[in-house]
Amino acid sequence: MIRWIALVSAIAAALVLQSTVLPIFLASSFKPDLLLVLMVFIALRGSFHEGLPLAWLLGLFKDVFSGLYLGLNAFSFVVIFLTIKSVSERLYAESGTLFVISVGLASLACFSLNLLLLILFTSTPGIAYSMGADLIPHLLVTSFAASLAPLLPWFERPLDAL
Amino acid sequence: MDFFKRYGVIVVTIAGILAALIFYSLNIPRKQHANALERGVMMAFAPILAPFSQAGGFVEDVWDNYLNLVDVRRENLKLRDEIKGLNGRLVTAAETQMANQRLTRLLDMKSSVKSSTVAAAVIGEDGTSWFRTLVIDRGASGGVAEGMAVVAADGVVGQVVKVAANTSRVLLLTDHASGIAATIQRSRARGVVKGRGEGLCSLEFTTREEDVKVGDAVVTSGIGGVFLKGLPIGEVTMVKRGQYGIFQTVSIRPAVNIAHLEEVLVVQRLPHD
Repeated sequence: MIRWIALVSAIAAALVLQSTVLPIFLASSFKPDLLLVLMVFIALRGSFHEGLPLAWLLGLFKDVFSGLYLGLNAFSFVVIFLTIKSVSERLYAESGTLFVISVGLASLACFSLNLLLLILFTSTPGIAYSMGADLIPHLLVTSFAASLAPLLPWFERPLDAL
Repeated sequence: MDFFKRYGVIVVTIAGILAALIFYSLNIPRKQHANALERGVMMAFAPILAPFSQAGGFVEDVWDNYLNLVDVRRENLKLRDEIKGLNGRLVTAAETQMANQRLTRLLDMKSSVKSSTVAAAVIGEDGTSWFRTLVIDRGASGGVAEGMAVVAADGVVGQVVKVAANTSRVLLLTDHASGIAATIQRSRARGVVKGRGEGLCSLEFTTREEDVKVGDAVVTSGIGGVFLKGLPIGEVTMVKRGQYGIFQTVSIRPAVNIAHLEEVLVVQRLPHD
């Protein structure tokens, strides 16, 4: 029960920070993707059965607060979750460095998948340029946000033990 | 002798009192002059009095300064509290003044829009940096519906795209998915203002022959029925006509400062109304 309360609180905090608090202080290119950070954490530490629907839900929450296309990030998150999950068993998932690298790669994957889906299914000319211009700062800031996660006291514990 | 033994103390006391009285009364006429006794005592004590007086003065100064310091510290704390309070009031007053100015301008826009409007505050931005949307604090319960135009004091902001009970999402005119039918105010050249991200727009589908110049004002044409005719969209910042092609490239800077939007008006008129 406490685990779920903690998770819901973390999701709510990430959403509020990302859509209301951070835009006041940060330029639009420097907004970290906190939900992606959360999803990567779940993919590295959580179970497959709980993690998969959670990853989809996190993507869906992101879609609700961003852009026009519901399901865009949900799809990307599921693909990224499955990719991370397929290799997480062979990795030292408790490592903070691995976590930061995973988040960086996940950001890149999310960008590529979103761009591909937007180009394939929507009429948004010039989106590639806008997204590309923001990619590096977005990647760096999200990785920086991920690097702060190991400072949290519960980071060392597996997700089931929370 | 027996008399002195019995009444000696009384006699001496009375004699002493009388002597003191006589001494006092004798000195009354010479009150302006010091007698030998006075001069002697004064001379004897003069060397001692000065340093003691100075030391006393020093102690008094220290004591006074200490007391003053205590008072100054107390006063300082009090004044700091007062300054904090006054600064808070100044900030509040400045904020109120700015809100008043913004709302006055918004009210001017409201009166110029020939349709019913509902005011809303911006409460959030897009969760990512790739799309350009805003969250406002009015939803279906406030009379907001999808497709309604959103304007600010300076001009067009965008269009309502997703409506919940108490909040709505607004697609900004700078988003890639946005398209607004527009006219160059001076030459009446038509086109579609499309978002380009990065806070800019472009005027699309304007043929090479149309008269468009840098600095021209771009306003809504009213075509499509979403936006009322004549609402300011922005200003032309660049015009490029290539050697080939049917259309010219026109860049537009939006009239509204999207990054600092706080209040907007939702025009309660749907495209099919």
